[in-house]
Amino acid sequence: MNIEEYIESGQLELYALQQLTPAEAAEVERLAAEYPAIRAELTRVQRALGLYADAHAVTPPAGMRERVLSGFQQAVRQQAEAPAAAPQAAPVVPPAPAPEAVVRPISAPAQTTAGSAFRWLAIAASVALLLSLGANWLLYARLQDSQHELSLAQARQETYAAGMQAVEKRLATRTSELGVLRDEQFRTVVMTGTAQAPGARAKVMYNPATRAVYVDVHNLPAAPSGKQYQLWALDKSKPVDAGMLSQAAAAGDSLQRMKDIASAQAFAITLEDEGGHPTPTMAALTVMGQML
Amino acid sequence: MGPTTNPVTSLLPEPPPLAEEQLVARLRAQDEAAMTEFYDRYSAALYGVILRIVRREEEAEDVLQEGMVKIWHSFQSYDPSKGRLFTWVLNVCRNLAIDKIRSRQYRVSSHSQPLDESPAEYQPAVDSFRPEHIGLQELTRQLNPDQKQIVDLLYFEGYTQSEVAEELNLPLGTVKTRARAAIKVLSNLIR
Repeated sequence: MNIEEYIESGQLELYALQQLTPAEAAEVERLAAEYPAIRAELTRVQRALGLYADAHAVTPPAGMRERVLSGFQQAVRQQAEAPAAAPQAAPVVPPAPAPEAVVRPISAPAQTTAGSAFRWLAIAASVALLLSLGANWLLYARLQDSQHELSLAQARQETYAAGMQAVEKRLATRTSELGVLRDEQFRTVVMTGTAQAPGARAKVMYNPATRAVYVDVHNLPAAPSGKQYQLWALDKSKPVDAGMLSQAAAAGDSLQRMKDIASAQAFAITLEDEGGHPTPTMAALTVMGQML
Repeated sequence: MGPTTNPVTSLLPEPPPLAEEQLVARLRAQDEAAMTEFYDRYSAALYGVILRIVRREEEAEDVLQEGMVKIWHSFQSYDPSKGRLFTWVLNVCRNLAIDKIRSRQYRVSSHSQPLDESPAEYQPAVDSFRPEHIGLQELTRQLNPDQKQIVDLLYFEGYTQSEVAEELNLPLGTVKTRARAAIKVLSNLIR
C-alpha cells in the first residue's frame, strides 16, 4: 500500500465530493481509520470544501430564522406524535363512550364563620401562588434570553479569536518576508523580460550560505490555463529546477520560498505545463537575470 | 514585494472542538433548543450553499428547514470520527438541494437551463462578526477557471464525474486530477 500514491490519486477528493459508490466509500473510510496520513489528508480535503462552501455563505433574509425554527419544531413534533398515535388507530375497536363529565362542587356552602375565614385564606394562598407562578415564568423567560445571548456572545468571541489567529498568521508571514528582504546575506538577482515578455520583471533573493531562494514577482503575464511558471537556477550554464511558482507568488501577492539551491550564477523563469518540466523550455523563457 | 499586497491567508471559522462537541452531545440527546444554536451557527453557510444550488430563495428556505428535520431525525448516524459536524450537515443539505433540482429538471426537462446562467446575483453575506471569512471573489481569484468549473459541477450541480467528463469533453482521469488540484489550492489557503 503506497500511501503517498493513494493520496495523490484524487480518491479522497472524490469521497469528500460524494462521488464514490458505497463500496468505494467504505474502502476510503477503512483506509482513513487505518492510516493517520490518509485521515489527515481527508480532513484537509473536507476542510477545503468547507471553506469553499463557507465562501458562498449568504445571510438569510430577516424573519427566516423564526419561520424555519418554528417550522422545524412543528415538523419534529408532528412526526413524534404520529408513531404514538398509529398503534392506537390500528386495532378496529369501537371507541369507548367518552366518560360523562363529572362536575363536583369546589366547596360546600359555607356553614360556619370558621369555614368562611378558611375560604379567604385559601383564596389569598391561591392568589399568592398565581403571582409566584407568573414571576417564575417571567424569570424563566429572562433566563432563557440571557442564555441565548450568552451563547451568541460566545460564538462571536470564538469567531473573533479565529480572526485574530488569521491576522497573526498573516503577520508572521510578513515578518519572515521582511526578514529575508533585510538580511544582508541575501543577494538580489533582478530578472528582466525576454523578447517574448518585454515588460516582465521579477527578483530572486538568494542566500548562498543557507541555500535559501525566494522569488518576488513584480510583473509576469497571467499564466494561461494549464500552464504554470517554473523557476530555474543556472549553475555554470546548467539549469537546475528551483520549483513551481504558486498562483499567489506569480501574481505578485507574496514572496515564495523556492527549492534550496547549492550554487548558481543566474536565475530564469519559464512557462511550463502545470506541475513543471524536468528541463526548461527555452522557447518559453519569460525572464532571466545574472547574479552581480 | 509586488505592487499588490493582498494575499488570502485565512482560516475557516472553526468553532473550538469543545463547543462543537457540546452541540453534538445536545443534538444526540434530542435537545430541541440545541437546534436554535445550530441555526445561529450554521444557517448562513448552509443557506448560501442551498441557494447556490436551487437558486430560488423560497425553495432554499424550504430545503434548509427540511434539512434541519432530517439532521434531527438521522442524527444517530452522524459519526464524529468520520469528520466534523459541519461537513456532515453540509452534505445532508447539499444532497437535499440537489434532489430538489433534479426533480425539477425532470419535470421541466425541455427547459433545462444552461449551466451557470442564473439571472439572480446574490449578495454575499455581510457579517461583521466574520473577519476571517474569505470572500467568494478572493477564492475565485485563487482557482483558475477550469478548476472552479469542475468543483462547481461536482459540488453544486450534482454532476457525477463521468457526466463532468462528458460535458467538458475531458478524459475521466483529468477530471479527477483537476478536482484534486482545485481542492489543493483551497486547502493551501487554510494552512
